[in-house]
Amino acid sequence: MKILAIESSCDETAIALLEGHGQILQLKKNAIYSQIDIHKKYGGVIPEVAARKHTETIIPLIDNTLGKSKLKNIDYVAVTSGPGLVTSLILGMATAKALAFANHLPLVSVNHLEGHIYSNWLSNSSLARNSQKYLPALILLVSGGHSELILMTSHGQYQILGQTLDDAAGEAYDKVAKLLHLGYPGGPIVSSLATEGNTQAYNFPRPMIDKENYDFSFSGLKTAVLYTLEKKKKISKKDIKDICASFQAALIEVLVKKTIKAAKVYKVKSIMLAGGVAANQVLKNTLLKQSREIGLPFFYPDLKYTGDNAAMIAVAAYYNVRFKNNNYILKDKNIFDLEPQANWRLGQNKSKI
Amino acid sequence: MREYQANNQAATEKIATELAKELKGGEFLALSGNLGAGKTVFVKALAKALGVKENITSPTFVLMKVYDISPLKSRQKTKAEGKFSKLDGGKVDKFVHIDCYRLSGQEDLFEIGLGDYLNYNNIIVAIEWADKLVNLPATAIKIHMELLGEDKRKISIA
Repeated sequence: MKILAIESSCDETAIALLEGHGQILQLKKNAIYSQIDIHKKYGGVIPEVAARKHTETIIPLIDNTLGKSKLKNIDYVAVTSGPGLVTSLILGMATAKALAFANHLPLVSVNHLEGHIYSNWLSNSSLARNSQKYLPALILLVSGGHSELILMTSHGQYQILGQTLDDAAGEAYDKVAKLLHLGYPGGPIVSSLATEGNTQAYNFPRPMIDKENYDFSFSGLKTAVLYTLEKKKKISKKDIKDICASFQAALIEVLVKKTIKAAKVYKVKSIMLAGGVAANQVLKNTLLKQSREIGLPFFYPDLKYTGDNAAMIAVAAYYNVRFKNNNYILKDKNIFDLEPQANWRLGQNKSKI
Repeated sequence: MREYQANNQAATEKIATELAKELKGGEFLALSGNLGAGKTVFVKALAKALGVKENITSPTFVLMKVYDISPLKSRQKTKAEGKFSKLDGGKVDKFVHIDCYRLSGQEDLFEIGLGDYLNYNNIIVAIEWADKLVNLPATAIKIHMELLGEDKRKISIA
Protein backbone atom coordinates (compact mmCIF):
# COMPACT_ATOMS: atom_id res chain seq x y z
CA MET A 1 0.00 0.00 0.00
CA LYS A 2 1.44 3.34 -1.10
CA ILE A 3 0.41 6.52 0.66
CA LEU A 4 1.05 10.14 -0.29
CA ALA A 5 0.75 12.33 2.81
CA ILE A 6 0.42 16.09 3.12
CA GLU A 7 0.93 18.10 6.30
CA SER A 8 0.47 21.88 6.59
CA SER A 9 -0.98 22.47 10.05
CA CYS A 10 1.37 25.29 11.06
CA ASP A 11 4.50 26.72 9.49
CA GLU A 12 6.01 23.67 7.80
CA THR A 13 4.88 22.38 4.43
CA ALA A 14 5.59 18.67 4.33
CA ILE A 15 5.06 15.83 1.86
CA ALA A 16 5.89 12.16 2.32
CA LEU A 17 5.60 8.94 0.41
CA LEU A 18 5.27 5.74 2.43
CA GLU A 19 5.01 2.13 1.41
CA GLY A 20 3.60 -0.24 3.96
CA HIS A 21 3.24 -4.01 3.75
CA GLY A 22 1.97 -5.79 6.81
CA GLN A 23 4.48 -5.09 9.53
CA ILE A 24 7.05 -3.39 7.34
CA LEU A 25 7.05 0.37 6.88
CA GLN A 26 9.24 1.88 4.19
CA LEU A 27 9.52 5.62 4.01
CA LYS A 28 10.32 6.42 0.37
CA LYS A 29 10.34 10.21 0.50
CA ASN A 30 10.11 12.80 3.23
CA ALA A 31 10.26 16.45 2.18
CA ILE A 32 9.84 19.41 4.50
CA TYR A 33 9.87 23.06 3.68
CA SER A 34 10.31 24.95 6.92
CA GLN A 35 9.30 28.58 7.15
CA ILE A 36 11.07 29.10 10.44
CA ASP A 37 13.62 31.56 9.06
CA ILE A 38 10.84 33.65 7.59
CA HIS A 39 8.92 33.85 10.85
CA LYS A 40 12.00 34.22 13.02
CA LYS A 41 12.47 37.84 12.02
CA TYR A 42 8.96 38.64 13.25
CA GLY A 43 9.45 36.69 16.49
CA GLY A 44 6.46 34.46 15.81
CA VAL A 45 4.28 32.82 13.21
CA ILE A 46 2.18 35.08 11.02
CA PRO A 47 -0.82 33.12 9.76
CA GLU A 48 -1.21 35.11 6.52
CA VAL A 49 2.45 34.73 5.61
CA ALA A 50 2.39 31.02 6.52
CA ALA A 51 -0.65 30.44 4.31
CA ARG A 52 0.88 32.25 1.33
CA LYS A 53 4.12 30.32 1.70
CA HIS A 54 2.22 27.00 1.81
CA THR A 55 0.53 28.00 -1.45
CA GLU A 56 3.86 28.66 -3.12
CA THR A 57 5.69 25.56 -1.92
CA ILE A 58 3.15 22.77 -1.84
CA ILE A 59 2.90 21.90 -5.54
CA PRO A 60 6.66 21.99 -6.28
CA LEU A 61 7.22 19.82 -3.18
CA ILE A 62 4.66 17.27 -4.37
CA ASP A 63 6.16 17.27 -7.88
CA ASN A 64 9.61 16.66 -6.46
CA THR A 65 8.41 13.93 -4.14
CA LEU A 66 6.48 12.01 -6.75
CA GLY A 67 8.98 12.43 -9.57
CA LYS A 68 8.23 11.01 -12.99
CA SER A 69 5.82 8.34 -11.86
CA LYS A 70 3.44 11.07 -10.62
CA LEU A 71 0.44 9.55 -8.86
CA LYS A 72 0.78 6.18 -10.58
CA ASN A 73 0.91 3.37 -7.98
CA ILE A 74 -0.39 5.63 -5.19
CA ASP A 75 -3.24 3.95 -3.32
CA TYR A 76 -4.22 6.61 -0.79
CA VAL A 77 -3.83 10.32 -0.22
CA ALA A 78 -3.56 11.33 3.46
CA VAL A 79 -3.84 14.80 4.93
CA THR A 80 -3.71 16.50 8.33
CA SER A 81 -7.10 18.09 9.01
CA GLY A 82 -6.47 19.34 12.54
CA PRO A 83 -5.62 20.51 15.08
CA GLY A 84 -3.67 23.52 13.85
CA LEU A 85 -3.92 26.95 12.33
CA VAL A 86 -7.04 26.94 10.23
CA THR A 87 -5.53 29.21 7.58
CA SER A 88 -2.63 26.76 7.16
CA LEU A 89 -4.67 23.55 7.33
CA ILE A 90 -6.89 24.73 4.49
CA LEU A 91 -4.02 24.81 1.99
CA GLY A 92 -2.86 21.24 2.50
CA MET A 93 -6.43 20.01 2.60
CA ALA A 94 -7.51 21.75 -0.61
CA THR A 95 -4.51 20.23 -2.38
CA ALA A 96 -5.13 16.74 -0.97
CA LYS A 97 -8.83 16.85 -1.80
CA ALA A 98 -8.19 17.90 -5.40
CA LEU A 99 -5.50 15.24 -5.92
CA ALA A 100 -7.61 12.49 -4.41
CA PHE A 101 -10.82 13.39 -6.23
CA ALA A 102 -9.25 13.94 -9.64
CA ASN A 103 -7.36 10.65 -9.46
CA HIS A 104 -10.17 8.58 -7.89
CA LEU A 105 -8.14 7.86 -4.78
CA PRO A 106 -9.51 7.55 -1.24
CA LEU A 107 -8.58 10.40 1.10
CA VAL A 108 -7.54 9.63 4.69
CA SER A 109 -8.11 12.44 7.21
CA VAL A 110 -5.46 12.33 9.93
CA ASN A 111 -5.31 13.99 13.34
CA HIS A 112 -1.99 15.81 13.68
CA LEU A 113 -1.48 14.48 17.23
CA GLU A 114 -2.09 10.92 16.08
CA GLY A 115 0.66 11.58 13.56
CA HIS A 116 3.04 12.58 16.35
CA ILE A 117 2.22 9.36 18.21
CA TYR A 118 2.99 7.32 15.11
CA SER A 119 6.37 9.01 14.71
CA ASN A 120 7.36 6.32 17.21
CA TRP A 121 6.41 3.59 14.73
CA LEU A 122 8.50 5.33 12.13
CA SER A 123 11.53 5.38 14.42
CA ASN A 124 11.32 1.96 16.07
CA SER A 125 10.91 -1.01 13.73
CA SER A 126 10.20 -3.30 16.69
CA LEU A 127 6.97 -1.36 17.24
CA ALA A 128 5.90 -1.86 13.62
CA ARG A 129 6.84 -5.54 13.74
CA ASN A 130 4.93 -6.33 16.88
CA SER A 131 2.59 -3.54 17.97
CA GLN A 132 0.50 -5.81 20.17
CA LYS A 133 3.43 -6.54 22.42
CA TYR A 134 3.61 -2.86 23.38
CA LEU A 135 -0.09 -1.94 23.60
CA PRO A 136 -1.72 -0.51 25.60
CA ALA A 137 0.85 2.26 25.67
CA LEU A 138 1.04 5.45 27.66
CA ILE A 139 2.00 8.42 25.54
CA LEU A 140 3.34 11.73 26.78
CA LEU A 141 2.67 14.17 23.95
CA VAL A 142 4.44 17.48 24.47
CA SER A 143 4.82 20.30 21.98
CA GLY A 144 4.33 24.02 21.55
CA GLY A 145 0.58 23.60 21.49
CA HIS A 146 -0.04 20.43 23.51
CA SER A 147 0.80 18.63 26.73
CA GLU A 148 -1.26 15.50 27.03
CA LEU A 149 -1.12 12.10 28.63
CA ILE A 150 -2.79 9.65 26.31
CA LEU A 151 -3.70 6.01 26.80
CA MET A 152 -3.50 4.19 23.49
CA THR A 153 -5.32 0.90 23.87
CA SER A 154 -4.99 -0.24 20.26
CA HIS A 155 -4.47 1.29 16.83
CA GLY A 156 -6.67 4.35 16.47
CA GLN A 157 -8.09 4.04 20.01
CA TYR A 158 -7.15 6.81 22.39
CA GLN A 159 -8.21 8.10 25.75
CA ILE A 160 -6.90 11.43 27.01
CA LEU A 161 -6.06 10.89 30.67
CA GLY A 162 -4.90 14.43 31.34
CA GLN A 163 -3.82 17.60 29.65
CA THR A 164 -2.56 21.06 30.39
CA LEU A 165 -5.11 23.38 31.95
CA ASP A 166 -3.40 26.45 30.52
CA ASP A 167 -0.06 26.68 28.67
CA ALA A 168 1.60 23.80 26.84
CA ALA A 169 5.08 22.63 27.86
CA GLY A 170 6.72 23.93 24.68
CA GLU A 171 4.88 27.20 25.11
CA ALA A 172 6.31 27.55 28.64
CA TYR A 173 9.80 27.17 27.14
CA ASP A 174 9.01 29.84 24.53
CA LYS A 175 7.65 32.25 27.11
CA VAL A 176 10.55 31.80 29.53
CA ALA A 177 12.90 32.43 26.60
CA LYS A 178 10.97 35.62 25.89
CA LEU A 179 11.21 36.75 29.54
CA LEU A 180 14.97 36.18 29.40
CA HIS A 181 15.25 37.85 25.96
CA LEU A 182 16.74 34.73 24.42
CA GLY A 183 14.98 34.64 21.05
CA TYR A 184 12.58 32.37 19.21
CA PRO A 185 11.88 29.44 19.21
CA GLY A 186 12.65 29.13 22.90
CA GLY A 187 12.82 25.36 23.49
CA PRO A 188 16.25 24.58 22.03
CA ILE A 189 17.81 27.79 23.44
CA VAL A 190 16.55 27.29 27.00
CA SER A 191 17.41 23.59 27.09
CA SER A 192 20.91 24.22 25.78
CA LEU A 193 21.58 26.97 28.37
CA ALA A 194 20.11 24.67 31.02
CA THR A 195 22.89 22.13 30.49
CA GLU A 196 25.36 24.68 31.91
CA GLY A 197 23.19 25.81 34.82
CA ASN A 198 22.44 24.63 38.33
CA THR A 199 19.07 22.86 38.51
CA GLN A 200 18.78 23.65 42.21
CA ALA A 201 19.67 27.33 42.13
CA TYR A 202 15.99 28.30 42.20
CA ASN A 203 13.17 26.38 43.75
CA PHE A 204 10.45 26.88 41.14
CA PRO A 205 7.02 25.39 41.81
CA ARG A 206 6.12 21.94 40.54
CA PRO A 207 2.53 22.77 39.55
CA MET A 208 -0.06 20.09 40.32
CA ILE A 209 2.57 17.46 41.00
CA ASP A 210 0.68 15.93 43.92
CA LYS A 211 -2.82 16.36 42.51
CA GLU A 212 -4.72 13.12 42.07
CA ASN A 213 -5.14 13.59 38.35
CA TYR A 214 -3.06 13.64 35.17
CA ASP A 215 -3.51 17.30 34.30
CA PHE A 216 -0.69 19.80 33.99
CA SER A 217 -0.43 23.55 34.47
CA PHE A 218 2.59 25.52 33.29
CA SER A 219 1.32 29.10 33.24
CA GLY A 220 2.22 29.62 36.90
CA LEU A 221 5.72 28.25 36.38
CA LYS A 222 6.35 30.98 33.81
CA THR A 223 4.97 33.56 36.26
CA ALA A 224 7.31 32.23 38.98
CA VAL A 225 10.24 32.83 36.62
CA LEU A 226 8.92 36.35 36.04
CA TYR A 227 8.72 37.05 39.81
CA THR A 228 12.29 35.83 40.22
CA LEU A 229 13.46 38.20 37.49
CA GLU A 230 11.53 41.15 38.94
CA LYS A 231 13.31 40.73 42.27
CA LYS A 232 16.76 40.83 40.73
CA LYS A 233 18.44 44.11 39.95
CA LYS A 234 21.06 42.70 37.64
CA ILE A 235 20.91 39.45 35.76
CA SER A 236 24.21 37.79 34.96
CA LYS A 237 24.88 35.10 32.35
CA LYS A 238 25.17 32.61 35.18
CA ASP A 239 21.74 33.66 36.51
CA ILE A 240 20.22 33.00 33.10
CA LYS A 241 21.75 29.54 32.90
CA ASP A 242 20.63 28.73 36.45
CA ILE A 243 17.09 29.97 35.78
CA CYS A 244 16.91 27.88 32.59
CA ALA A 245 18.21 24.79 34.42
CA SER A 246 15.90 25.22 37.43
CA PHE A 247 12.88 25.95 35.22
CA GLN A 248 13.53 22.90 33.06
CA ALA A 249 14.06 20.69 36.12
CA ALA A 250 10.67 21.74 37.53
CA LEU A 251 8.83 21.21 34.26
CA ILE A 252 10.39 17.83 33.53
CA GLU A 253 9.88 16.57 37.07
CA VAL A 254 6.13 17.16 36.75
CA LEU A 255 5.89 15.62 33.26
CA VAL A 256 7.84 12.51 34.24
CA LYS A 257 6.20 11.96 37.62
CA LYS A 258 2.69 12.03 36.14
CA THR A 259 3.72 9.84 33.19
CA ILE A 260 5.19 7.14 35.41
CA LYS A 261 2.24 7.27 37.77
CA ALA A 262 -0.26 6.86 34.92
CA ALA A 263 1.81 4.03 33.43
CA LYS A 264 1.57 2.14 36.71
CA VAL A 265 -2.11 2.82 37.31
CA TYR A 266 -3.17 1.83 33.78
CA LYS A 267 -0.79 -1.15 33.67
CA VAL A 268 0.50 -0.30 30.21
CA LYS A 269 3.08 -2.32 28.33
CA SER A 270 5.19 0.60 27.16
CA ILE A 271 5.78 4.32 27.52
CA MET A 272 6.20 6.62 24.52
CA LEU A 273 7.20 10.21 24.04
CA ALA A 274 5.93 12.33 21.13
CA GLY A 275 5.82 15.92 19.86
CA GLY A 276 8.33 18.71 19.43
CA VAL A 277 9.52 18.62 23.07
CA ALA A 278 10.51 14.97 22.46
CA ALA A 279 13.72 16.52 21.12
CA ASN A 280 14.66 17.44 24.70
CA GLN A 281 17.54 15.22 25.81
CA VAL A 282 17.02 15.63 29.57
CA LEU A 283 13.36 14.65 29.23
CA LYS A 284 14.31 11.58 27.19
CA ASN A 285 17.04 10.50 29.63
CA THR A 286 14.80 10.94 32.66
CA LEU A 287 11.92 9.02 31.12
CA LEU A 288 14.26 6.26 29.95
CA LYS A 289 15.73 5.85 33.41
CA GLN A 290 12.41 5.86 35.23
CA SER A 291 10.70 3.57 32.69
CA ARG A 292 13.50 1.07 33.24
CA GLU A 293 13.00 1.26 36.98
CA ILE A 294 9.41 0.08 36.57
CA GLY A 295 10.41 -2.46 33.93
CA LEU A 296 8.73 -0.87 30.91
CA PRO A 297 10.16 -0.31 27.44
CA PHE A 298 10.44 3.37 26.51
CA PHE A 299 10.12 4.58 22.92
CA TYR A 300 10.87 8.00 21.52
CA PRO A 301 10.96 9.34 17.96
CA ASP A 302 14.17 10.02 16.04
CA LEU A 303 15.13 13.67 16.28
CA LYS A 304 14.20 14.26 12.62
CA TYR A 305 10.63 13.11 13.29
CA THR A 306 9.99 15.12 16.47
CA GLY A 307 9.00 18.27 14.58
CA ASP A 308 6.12 18.50 12.17
CA ASN A 309 6.49 16.19 9.17
CA ALA A 310 4.31 14.28 6.72
CA ALA A 311 5.99 10.90 7.23
CA MET A 312 4.24 10.49 10.59
CA ILE A 313 0.93 11.46 8.95
CA ALA A 314 1.46 8.73 6.34
CA VAL A 315 2.13 6.13 9.05
CA ALA A 316 -1.01 7.14 10.98
CA ALA A 317 -3.00 6.88 7.74
CA TYR A 318 -1.49 3.45 7.06
CA TYR A 319 -2.74 2.07 10.38
CA ASN A 320 -6.11 3.77 9.95
CA VAL A 321 -6.53 1.97 6.63
CA ARG A 322 -5.12 -1.33 7.88
CA PHE A 323 -7.37 -1.41 10.90
CA LYS A 324 -10.33 -0.07 8.95
CA ASN A 325 -10.95 3.10 10.87
CA ASN A 326 -13.44 3.96 8.16
CA ASN A 327 -14.71 7.14 9.79
CA TYR A 328 -11.66 8.89 8.48
CA ILE A 329 -11.51 7.45 4.97
CA LEU A 330 -13.44 9.39 2.34
CA LYS A 331 -14.22 8.55 -1.24
CA ASP A 332 -15.49 10.34 -4.33
CA LYS A 333 -17.78 13.29 -3.70
CA ASN A 334 -17.64 12.80 0.07
CA ILE A 335 -14.08 14.01 -0.06
CA PHE A 336 -15.39 17.54 -0.28
CA ASP A 337 -17.26 17.23 3.01
CA LEU A 338 -13.97 17.24 4.88
CA GLU A 339 -13.32 20.50 6.70
CA PRO A 340 -10.42 21.71 8.82
CA GLN A 341 -10.89 21.16 12.53
CA ALA A 342 -8.61 23.62 14.27
CA ASN A 343 -9.31 22.15 17.73
CA TRP A 344 -9.80 18.46 16.89
CA ARG A 345 -9.32 16.52 20.11
CA LEU A 346 -7.73 13.14 19.81
CA GLY A 347 -10.13 10.31 20.53
CA GLN A 348 -13.11 12.55 19.93
CA ASN A 349 -15.54 10.72 17.71
CA LYS A 350 -16.71 13.12 15.14
CA SER A 351 -20.41 12.85 14.42
CA LYS A 352 -19.67 13.76 10.85
CA ILE A 353 -16.47 14.55 9.07
CA MET B 1 -12.54 53.88 32.81
CA ARG B 2 -12.56 51.69 35.89
CA GLU B 3 -9.48 50.72 37.78
CA TYR B 4 -9.06 47.86 40.21
CA GLN B 5 -6.27 46.45 42.26
CA ALA B 6 -6.29 42.68 42.65
CA ASN B 7 -4.13 41.36 45.48
CA ASN B 8 -4.42 37.72 44.56
CA GLN B 9 -5.71 35.35 41.90
CA ALA B 10 -9.16 35.08 43.48
CA ALA B 11 -9.54 38.86 43.30
CA THR B 12 -8.67 38.87 39.60
CA GLU B 13 -11.21 36.12 39.03
CA LYS B 14 -13.87 38.09 40.87
CA ILE B 15 -13.35 41.17 38.69
CA ALA B 16 -13.66 38.99 35.58
CA THR B 17 -16.82 37.34 36.91
CA GLU B 18 -18.39 40.74 37.60
CA LEU B 19 -17.54 41.92 34.09
CA ALA B 20 -19.09 38.77 32.61
CA LYS B 21 -22.42 39.71 34.17
CA GLU B 22 -22.45 43.00 32.27
CA LEU B 23 -22.01 41.39 28.88
CA LYS B 24 -25.03 40.81 26.70
CA GLY B 25 -23.51 39.36 23.54
CA GLY B 26 -21.62 40.76 20.56
CA GLU B 27 -18.91 42.30 22.73
CA PHE B 28 -15.28 42.32 21.87
CA LEU B 29 -12.83 42.29 24.79
CA ALA B 30 -9.31 43.44 24.05
CA LEU B 31 -6.82 42.39 26.73
CA SER B 32 -3.31 43.72 26.99
CA GLY B 33 -0.47 43.40 29.47
CA ASN B 34 2.87 41.65 29.63
CA LEU B 35 3.66 37.98 30.19
CA GLY B 36 2.50 37.00 33.65
CA ALA B 37 0.13 39.97 34.00
CA GLY B 38 -2.76 37.59 34.53
CA LYS B 39 -4.62 37.74 31.22
CA THR B 40 -5.20 34.00 31.03
CA VAL B 41 -6.47 33.84 34.61
CA PHE B 42 -8.87 36.68 33.79
CA VAL B 43 -10.19 35.04 30.61
CA LYS B 44 -10.61 31.65 32.30
CA ALA B 45 -12.77 33.17 35.03
CA LEU B 46 -14.73 35.25 32.54
CA ALA B 47 -15.47 32.21 30.38
CA LYS B 48 -16.55 30.18 33.37
CA ALA B 49 -18.93 32.94 34.47
CA LEU B 50 -20.36 33.11 30.96
CA GLY B 51 -21.21 29.43 31.12
CA VAL B 52 -18.36 27.79 29.20
CA LYS B 53 -18.16 24.27 30.58
CA GLU B 54 -14.93 23.21 28.94
CA ASN B 55 -11.64 24.13 30.52
CA ILE B 56 -10.08 27.08 28.70
CA THR B 57 -6.54 26.31 27.58
CA SER B 58 -4.02 28.62 25.99
CA PRO B 59 -4.83 29.33 22.34
CA THR B 60 -1.33 30.65 21.71
CA PHE B 61 -0.44 27.85 19.35
CA VAL B 62 -3.61 27.64 17.27
CA LEU B 63 -4.36 31.35 17.68
CA MET B 64 -8.07 30.85 18.22
CA LYS B 65 -10.34 28.50 20.14
CA VAL B 66 -14.12 28.54 19.99
CA TYR B 67 -16.19 27.30 22.93
CA ASP B 68 -19.88 26.59 23.33
CA ILE B 69 -21.77 28.41 26.02
CA SER B 70 -24.54 26.55 27.72
CA PRO B 71 -27.21 29.25 28.15
CA LEU B 72 -29.12 27.27 30.72
CA LYS B 73 -26.14 26.99 32.98
CA SER B 74 -25.30 30.67 32.91
CA ARG B 75 -28.90 31.42 33.77
CA GLN B 76 -28.92 29.06 36.73
CA LYS B 77 -25.65 30.41 37.95
CA THR B 78 -26.73 34.02 38.05
CA LYS B 79 -30.11 33.16 39.56
CA ALA B 80 -28.42 31.24 42.32
CA GLU B 81 -26.46 34.35 43.13
CA GLY B 82 -29.70 36.26 43.31
CA LYS B 83 -28.81 38.60 40.50
CA PHE B 84 -30.43 39.27 37.21
CA SER B 85 -28.07 38.87 34.30
CA LYS B 86 -28.39 40.30 30.85
CA LEU B 87 -27.39 36.86 29.63
CA ASP B 88 -30.75 35.64 30.86
CA GLY B 89 -32.11 35.57 27.35
CA GLY B 90 -29.74 32.68 26.81
CA LYS B 91 -28.95 33.72 23.28
CA VAL B 92 -25.19 33.98 23.71
CA ASP B 93 -23.94 30.55 22.72
CA LYS B 94 -20.31 30.98 21.69
CA PHE B 95 -17.16 32.26 23.34
CA VAL B 96 -14.16 32.91 21.12
CA HIS B 97 -10.74 33.05 22.76
CA ILE B 98 -7.86 34.47 20.75
CA ASP B 99 -4.22 34.94 21.62
CA CYS B 100 -2.11 37.20 19.41
CA TYR B 101 1.09 36.51 21.34
CA ARG B 102 2.78 34.93 18.34
CA LEU B 103 1.71 37.59 15.87
CA SER B 104 4.12 40.16 14.54
CA GLY B 105 1.94 43.18 15.17
CA GLN B 106 0.90 43.96 11.61
CA GLU B 107 -2.31 42.04 11.20
CA ASP B 108 -5.88 43.11 11.58
CA LEU B 109 -8.80 41.01 12.75
CA PHE B 110 -9.70 39.75 9.31
CA GLU B 111 -6.22 38.56 8.50
CA ILE B 112 -6.27 36.21 11.47
CA GLY B 113 -9.60 34.73 10.39
CA LEU B 114 -11.82 36.50 12.90
CA GLY B 115 -14.17 37.92 10.28
CA ASP B 116 -16.61 35.07 10.86
CA TYR B 117 -17.05 35.90 14.53
CA LEU B 118 -17.36 39.66 14.74
CA ASN B 119 -20.49 41.60 15.63
CA TYR B 120 -22.78 38.65 16.20
CA ASN B 121 -25.08 39.02 19.18
CA ASN B 122 -24.64 35.37 20.11
CA ILE B 123 -20.86 35.58 20.33
CA ILE B 124 -18.48 37.10 22.87
CA VAL B 125 -14.87 37.48 21.77
CA ALA B 126 -11.87 37.86 24.11
CA ILE B 127 -8.47 38.65 22.62
CA GLU B 128 -5.22 38.44 24.57
CA TRP B 129 -2.30 40.55 23.35
CA ALA B 130 -4.85 42.67 21.49
CA ASP B 131 -2.26 45.46 21.32
CA LYS B 132 -0.58 43.39 18.60
CA LEU B 133 -3.52 43.92 16.27
CA VAL B 134 -4.10 46.97 14.14
CA ASN B 135 -7.48 48.65 13.61
CA LEU B 136 -9.30 47.37 16.67
CA PRO B 137 -13.01 48.22 16.57
CA ALA B 138 -13.89 51.41 18.48
CA THR B 139 -16.49 49.53 20.50
CA ALA B 140 -13.91 47.16 21.97
CA ILE B 141 -13.84 46.89 25.77
CA LYS B 142 -10.20 47.45 26.61
CA ILE B 143 -8.78 45.59 29.59
CA HIS B 144 -5.24 46.36 30.59
CA MET B 145 -3.42 44.35 33.23
CA GLU B 146 -0.22 45.22 34.95
CA LEU B 147 1.91 43.39 37.48
CA LEU B 148 2.60 45.63 40.49
CA GLY B 149 4.52 43.16 42.59
CA GLU B 150 4.31 39.50 43.47
CA ASP B 151 0.61 38.55 43.16
CA LYS B 152 -0.51 42.22 43.00
CA ARG B 153 -2.09 43.44 39.78
CA LYS B 154 -3.67 46.59 38.46
CA ILE B 155 -6.61 46.01 36.14
CA SER B 156 -8.17 48.82 34.15
CA ILE B 157 -11.31 48.43 32.08
CA ALA B 158 -12.31 51.04 29.52
